[in-house]
Parts: sequence; C-alpha cells; structure tokens
Amino acid sequence: MILTVLQISCRRLLHNRVELLLTFLVPIAFFSVFAIIFGGGLGRGTTPRIKVVAVDEIQSVVSSQVMSALAEQESLRFVRETDADGLKRDEAMELVRSGSATMAIILREDHEQLAAELMADASDQVAAQVVSAVVNRAIMLSEAEYQVSQLTDSEQDENEHQLAVGAVADSDSELFGIEESLQRKVEIIDVMGEGKANPVVSMYASGIAVMFLLFGATGGGGALLEERENQTLDRLLSTQMSMDQLLLGKWFYMSSIGVLQVGVMFVWAQLVFNVDLIGHLDGFLMMTVVTALAASAFGLFLATLCKSRGQLNGLSVILILTMSALGGSMVPRYLMSDELQQYGLWTFNAWALDGYTKVFWRELPVDALAPQLSVLLISGVVFLLAARLLAVRWETD
Amino acid sequence: MNYARPTPALAIHDLRKSYGDLHALKGVTFGLQRGERLAFLGPNGAGKTTLIRCLAGLTNADHGEIFLAGRPFKSSEARKQIGFVPQEIALYADLTTRQNLEAFGRFHGLRRRALRDRLAWALKWTGLEDRADDLVGAFSGGMQRRVNLACGVMHEPRILLLDEPTVGVDPQSRQRIFMMLDELSATGTSILLTTHHLDEAEERSDRIVILDQGMVVADGPIDELVEQSVGTQRLVRLRIDRPLSAPIRAGVAEDAASFGTPGTDEISTRIDDVSNHLPGLIELVRRRGYGIADVQVEAPSLHHVFLHLTGYELRD
Repeated sequence: MILTVLQISCRRLLHNRVELLLTFLVPIAFFSVFAIIFGGGLGRGTTPRIKVVAVDEIQSVVSSQVMSALAEQESLRFVRETDADGLKRDEAMELVRSGSATMAIILREDHEQLAAELMADASDQVAAQVVSAVVNRAIMLSEAEYQVSQLTDSEQDENEHQLAVGAVADSDSELFGIEESLQRKVEIIDVMGEGKANPVVSMYASGIAVMFLLFGATGGGGALLEERENQTLDRLLSTQMSMDQLLLGKWFYMSSIGVLQVGVMFVWAQLVFNVDLIGHLDGFLMMTVVTALAASAFGLFLATLCKSRGQLNGLSVILILTMSALGGSMVPRYLMSDELQQYGLWTFNAWALDGYTKVFWRELPVDALAPQLSVLLISGVVFLLAARLLAVRWETD
Repeated sequence: MNYARPTPALAIHDLRKSYGDLHALKGVTFGLQRGERLAFLGPNGAGKTTLIRCLAGLTNADHGEIFLAGRPFKSSEARKQIGFVPQEIALYADLTTRQNLEAFGRFHGLRRRALRDRLAWALKWTGLEDRADDLVGAFSGGMQRRVNLACGVMHEPRILLLDEPTVGVDPQSRQRIFMMLDELSATGTSILLTTHHLDEAEERSDRIVILDQGMVVADGPIDELVEQSVGTQRLVRLRIDRPLSAPIRAGVAEDAASFGTPGTDEISTRIDDVSNHLPGLIELVRRRGYGIADVQVEAPSLHHVFLHLTGYELRD
C-alpha cells in the first residue's frame, strides 16, 4: 500500500512538468545565484571594490605618497579623482551621506604625525575594516619609504645591517609604542549611524518587504488565472465590465494590499526594532506606494503571460527568488561584484532598497528619491500595458 | 423561417467562425422569439459552445450578423439584454450567496435600490433566503447551480444563454432549476440553452435546434422534427421464441414485405396504425410457427430524430 502511494506520487510528479521543474530547477538556479555572488562562479565576479573619496589636508610629501598608493589599490574605487582640487572634508562627508561614496579618507595631521580619519557609512559593515587595513598599510609604507629616503648613506648601511642580523625590540615598551602609533594613525568615524537603530534592520525590512510585495502580487495574478479557468472571467466579460476595468481593479486592489502589508511590517519594525517610521513617513509612503504599484503590475503581467496557475507558480518562484537574491533582498549588494550589482539594477528590489535606504538610513529629502520613484513607476506602467496587451487574447478567444 | 414579424428577440444570420483550419460554425441562421425556450442539441464539436460564446460576446464571429431586438449586436445597449450562465460554476466560492449576487448585480450595472430589490428577488427565487450569508463554496452542486443561474439574471436580461445548466445535478435540483427557468420565460425572457439531456429538450423547450458540424440540421418544435425526419410511425419490436430460420414474408408476391433477419430472435418494423396493424403482424409471425416472447412499441422521440439526422448518439 505504502509503495503504491509512493509510486502514484512519483508518477504524478513526472506527468506534471511545471512541478518537476520547480522541484529541481529552482534550488539549482537559486544556489547558482548565491555561488556567483559569493564564490565568483562562472569565472566572473571579483571582490567588490569599495567606493571612496580621499581628502589630503596636509599636502606633504608623505601624504601625497599615501594618496598615490591608495589610488593604485585594486580594492578601492575612487568616485572622485585623488588629485581633485578643492575637495574638502565637508564635501567628502556629504558624498558619504548621499551614498555616492561608502567611505571618505581624510589625511590629517595629528600631533605632527600623519593620521587618517575614515568617514564611514556604517551600513556597510565590511568596508570600514577593509579600508582601514588598506590605509594603515599605505601610511606605514609611505612613511617608511620617506624615512629611508632621508637617511645618509652610512645610516642606510647600518639600517640594513640591523635588519640582516634580525634585531628585535629589547623591550615590550618599544613594541607597545609601535602598536600605539599604528592605532593612532587611522580612526573610523561613523557619519551615518549616530542615533539610528541598527542599519541592517531597516535594510532587511525593505528587502523582505519588496520580496513579499512580489509574491503577493503574483498571488493576486493567480486569482485572475483561477477566474479564467473556472469561467468566472468569461462571465465577468459578458457583463458591462471591460477588461480595462477588470485589470485596473485588480491592480489597485493588489497595490492597496501591498501598501498595507508593508505598512504593518514597518509598524512592527518601529515597535520592536526601533526603526523610525514616523520620522520618515513621507518618504516611506512614497516608496511603498510606488513599489507596490510596480510589483502589482508585474504580477498582472506574469498572470496574463501564463496559461495556468501552475505555470504562474513555477515562473514566479524562479523570477522572484532570483530578483530578490540579485537585488539585495537577501544579501547586501555591497557584497556583490560590480558586475552583479549592475545586473541587480534590472530588479525591482535594487531600486526599492536604494530608495528605502535613502529614506531611513541616509535621511535624504524626498526629492532625492526621484531616480528610484521614476524607474519603479515607469516599470509599473510598462508591465501594466504589457498585461493589457496580453489580455487581449482572453477577450477575443 | 420568417424573422420579419414580430421583431425577434434574437436573430442570427449566416454566422461563421473558424479556428485556423477548424470551421466551428459554417453559416448558422436561426431566430428566437420573445419568451421562447429554445434547446440547442448537437454532438460534441458541433459548434454549440462557439455559438453561445459568440452570442455572449466572448468570441468574435468571422462573418455573419446578430441582432438583438432588431439592434446590431455590438451596440452597448444590445449587450445589456443578454444574460450568460456558463457551464462551470462561475462564482466566488469564498463569498456568500448575497455577496455573489451583489457582485454580479453590480457588474451588470445595478446600483442602490434596484440592486437591493433585485437581490431580495434573487434570494427568494433561488429559495436560498436562509442561506444568504453562507459561503457558496460549502453548497451542494444543485444549490451552486441555482446561485450560478441567479447571478446571470440579476439585470433582467431579455435573452438568457445557458450552457448545460443542469450538468452534474440531481433530479430534484434539475426540476427546481427548470421551474426557475419557466418563471423567467413566463415574464418574457427568451431562453437558449444547450443540453445533452434529450428529455429536458423535449419537455422543457418550445423549439429545438440541432447543430451538427457547424450547421443547423433541424429547427422546430419536436412534433415537426419528428414528422420531417423519422415520421410518425411507431417502431414495433417483437421478440420471438427462437432465432429466425428465414425472413417472414407477408405474402407470396415478389414485392411482399419481409420482416426479420435470419439468425436473430427480434423482428422490428415501423407501422402507421398500431391498433389495426399490430394484431395482423403478430398473427403473421404465429402462422409462420414462431411464438411471441415480448412486444415493444416505441413512439418516435428526439433521440430517434437526433440519430437520424446526425448519425450519432448524443454523447458521441
């Protein structure tokens, strides 16, 4: 008996291609996306380069050497040239606050010694450590080279001799002094996180919100397919209602539910995780409404594209999980290579996350959301129009 | 048929529809008078569903004309006169009876008082007043069919199209549904339904249209169809006590009638006057040395007409 049940279930699975695909292909696709993100699979994808700007407040020989050394670092990508005239500390900090740069490297004088301040965006928890190590090394090497260049010929010979016989510090205090001087040289200052809750919370709230907006939208689209399958759609189209009205009604319903859904989630985030929803209500509402409209249009488009609910389920799971992975809903995009981050821009998730980050983390005014709002609105309109065009075949079947 | 007087509720002329190489309708012409009940019969693939869909505005015909009360079909006013009840239970299972009726009433353009009044009427008409606030998904098939029907008539259409309205329904529920349709017909609503139940078509319609391979092969009341096809003769079957050794001849002349097939124990023939001719036939069989085990007399029915005209059983 048990074997018969097993046999029947296997046969049903083999006869249902969509379900078969879903069972085996989706985990492979999803794993591959993560492998590419983290493992540089397919030979592409490199360690992500950190966006930085640098300000040399000292303008000395050593500081210039440090700037040159930093410019040659493969792990850094300067969003402004290192020798850009007139870049001041305030401008550099503003670039970090606006998200144009992840970190601003300020070379300054500290007790007549070269030191560095790293103005960091604490939402990127990896960048600070990487840049700190890079800057430290650059300063140490530059200072060492400078000191060597200042030695006379006889002093250089003595120095080399000392190195050759492996001279060591003869007291702990000498070592401690060296460590202390290293620690003084590079200071990390969080220019974004003061007074804010853990940035990861609002980032993930946004990421999860967008992912579930997409799932909810395809669920709503599935209801449309179900109506088609049981001839309710035929009945509706035989009334005074037009297909335009039907699709618009579905779109508004799905968008409204999406806005409520995200709203409830962020209220929870405010109550439990101290995300400041009330203080950012205008930006939140704008982003949420537009993202919900876009996601709902996408759901309708998928529904009109598919012939059955089974097809829709399969296609939507693959698409949404992939978009969510690439777009930053599951893994922060700053961990991805530049190439993958570019691919991510083809997803709703990336644009929505950028918008929410601007609202909650960078606390930028709502006009700074223009790029995100525009892209999401335009995609929403495009998908809605595409859905309408595809629905023509249901009208004239 | 002359559709000029009075203005028929529905007039279809030379309707054609093809799906690629498949010609679903090949020039269908018929009319439907006000208050008339018309049953559409045809084997599977005859074009019934395509015709219903054309009339419901769900499919565009390739050629031909449709008029509703004399107005071209495509006018928005004309479309308001049609009610469509699909074969599937096209309801929202997770809404109550009242909510379903209200939804479809709204979709048909009813508002406020008109909607309220019609809603009250529909609940009474379906006999589901005490189930008004129950979810339709929990209803029996018969109850769902009643709600399905009511949702198609909320706007008081002049013409009601029903695609197999009683499929999968028990006899009591079928009876109930046809009573509901009779009430509608009495108020002047013209009813066009497709069905595979020949008894329904015979007993519940004023006229029958038989469609086969996209064309109308018969159109008229059952009596006319019988007379025009199989005739009014009765089919008589005699079962004898042993297989025939040779056909039974009525006389010695070469052109005398013969009955039965050698090797079979059944003799069937058609006779005009049962009371006068049947005794003679029985006597003839006895004189030939055979005993009569059973006698059956069948009046011509729609089944015979259908078989005669299409060559199929209805479900073929």
